[in-house]
Amino acid sequence: MLIVENLSKEFNSGAGPVQAVDSISFEVPEGKFAAIIGKSGSGKSTLLALLGALDKPTSGAIKVGDQDITKLGDQDLIKYRRNRIGFVFQGYNLVPNLTALENVMLPMEFAGVRGAERKARAASLLDQVGITVEEQSRKPSRLSGGQQQRVAIARALANRPQLILADEPTGNLDSTTGKLIVDLLRHLARTEKTTILAVTHDLEIARQTDLTFRLADGKLVGEERHARAQRPAVAA
Amino acid sequence: MSTIVRGVRNAFRNTIRTGGVTVILALSIGLALVMLLSLKTVQARIQTVKQSIGNTISVSPAGARGFDGGGEPLTQTDLDAVKSLPHVSGVVASLNDRLTPITDTSLASAIDPGTLGNRFRSRGGDAAPAPAGNSSGGATRTFTIPIMVSGVGQVTAAAVNATSLKFTSGSAVDASGKANVADIGTELATKNNLKVGSTFTYGTTTVTVSGIFDAGNKFANAGVIMPIATVQTLSAQPGQISTATITADDITNVPAAVTAIKAKLGTKADVVSQQDTATNAIAPLENIKTVSLYSLIGALTAGAVITFLTMLMIVRERRREIGVLKAIGASNVKIVVQFVAEAVTLTSMGAVVGVIGGLLLSNPVLKLLVTTSTSTSTTGAGPGGGGRGFARIIGGFGGQSLQNLQAVIGYDILLYGLLAALIIAVVGSALPAWLIAKVRPAEVMRGE
Ligand SMILES: Nc1ncnc2c1ncn2[C@@H]1O[C@H](COP(=O)(O)OP(=O)(O)OP(=O)(O)O)[C@@H](O)[C@H]1O
Ligand SMILES: [Mg+2]
Repeated sequence: MLIVENLSKEFNSGAGPVQAVDSISFEVPEGKFAAIIGKSGSGKSTLLALLGALDKPTSGAIKVGDQDITKLGDQDLIKYRRNRIGFVFQGYNLVPNLTALENVMLPMEFAGVRGAERKARAASLLDQVGITVEEQSRKPSRLSGGQQQRVAIARALANRPQLILADEPTGNLDSTTGKLIVDLLRHLARTEKTTILAVTHDLEIARQTDLTFRLADGKLVGEERHARAQRPAVAA
Repeated sequence: MSTIVRGVRNAFRNTIRTGGVTVILALSIGLALVMLLSLKTVQARIQTVKQSIGNTISVSPAGARGFDGGGEPLTQTDLDAVKSLPHVSGVVASLNDRLTPITDTSLASAIDPGTLGNRFRSRGGDAAPAPAGNSSGGATRTFTIPIMVSGVGQVTAAAVNATSLKFTSGSAVDASGKANVADIGTELATKNNLKVGSTFTYGTTTVTVSGIFDAGNKFANAGVIMPIATVQTLSAQPGQISTATITADDITNVPAAVTAIKAKLGTKADVVSQQDTATNAIAPLENIKTVSLYSLIGALTAGAVITFLTMLMIVRERRREIGVLKAIGASNVKIVVQFVAEAVTLTSMGAVVGVIGGLLLSNPVLKLLVTTSTSTSTTGAGPGGGGRGFARIIGGFGGQSLQNLQAVIGYDILLYGLLAALIIAVVGSALPAWLIAKVRPAEVMRGE
């Protein structure tokens, strides 16, 4: 369960204070796939950064499970990012001189997982996202965008996070590949029992999620639930 | 794969940059090493030169030079005053006398005047009376060389102007006493058939031989060493001394001691140390030292700045990657360790190449420095008037001190140099990495 209460983030730019996120409150039940939509500059990335503890809110609370992460110290925030959150970025952001397999092993290394176990789980995750054994030993520069994003998804899942935060995961991909990536995310949300929050511009994608939040000027201006006959929501 | 392995691998991420950084670091480390070695070598040589010159100062009555000069004798009172001066650790006084055979002593001189001595005498250079019966001599005039008596406060090789002194029989006289005893050189002993316990006359006094010494040269071995008090009495010069050898507490304090002694004794004494000679001999070495020191500081500064900026550049370039690593759960410490490992790898490669190059180049560079600074100092010494002989000595001395200069390679120097390079690399990488790691990841990951 993800609960956001009265969350605000104010930036001080040259022109004066900017309310990038303005008193937002919402809830996402466990195992749901939620989309965040909104125009450019509406505060989507800022909201995601706050949820992933990449930035600190000006005010408000973010409850993940039974913990309010806005009250955590620096060391606990590192643990939170490492164990509870998986990030997927628009630009993939794989480490360029590590192979696909090594990229997926990285978060497990930070978490102190033993070498052999790391390797086995990384290989199995990559297999699940459709990266072949041969591709696993390649560096990112020798993989296609879709393949890199699949490696990034496998990396985000490495430490069995409760929450996956994806900022325009299909933004750099053609629509066919983008759809495959979203299907993959949805599939994994179910098998790994992970809540997913994805920022997207693609309304087609947004329609296929369990929940959609619409942002405008930092405020939450709409919330839709999709009761989809073909895919019943996983119970919390 | 550990954080450290990742850091080491990152050092090879960009072949061109890895090569470039290695070469630049190697150059500055190599140059620093060469200069450090030159500096150490030259310093060691300066020390040797100073040591070889010693820390003694000789004081003699003003104008006196052996027996041929004039001047008023110094007294024990003067020396007692000198003893209490700063930096003076020892004072050994001496009073020399010379005994003319037959007239003054029963001893016969062990030195044959020879052709040179006679030629010298025929020009009126010496006034020793010729033996009776030969006074009306024509072409074959001869004379007798007097016997040198050194009255000393301590029996040393310096007492007879020699560098070594060992006893072939008997033992040294008690120089602090005033008994009528003497040590005689082997030549004098043979000439006069004297053994330990034999006697000879000094004026009207009978003196007993206590030891026979070998000082390594014929002239010294024709001399006599006696306690200074005895010589003062027998030569009727009570309380007087002809020279004093003063020891400074440290080589570096010799100039200060000389100044103090000069101030104390004023114009009545000539105070001479070999430090001036040393200073001139050392001058070209000092030049090299200065050049090496500035080059060393330059090379170290350049190396430090290059290392620091390189690491700063690498860290900044990977800002986004640092943000990503933090987003997927890396701790600040891990990020710092990874960059430090990378910096240490780069520096180590630079160091290995630099050290090898530095060792190969140290001797050629030292030679080059020697050539340059010798020519400089020769030009400088040229116009100095009145000291041509002196200049020649210096030249000889300086030249000698400069030849055979071999870079002294101490492992400690190498270690210190490498340690310094590593510390700079560690600081240069850890600091920027830490500063970026501390920033909130969202800030770091926002586009450049
Ligand atoms: N570090 C910052 N300093 C100042 N203003 C900022 C900062 N980060 C974001 N903003 C401002 O906050 C607002 C929201 O930005 P945000 O990046 O969250 O938008 P977004 O919805 O992700 O847009 P896009 O769809 O273009 O990615 C914008 O007006 C932006 O200019
Ligand atoms: Mg955005």
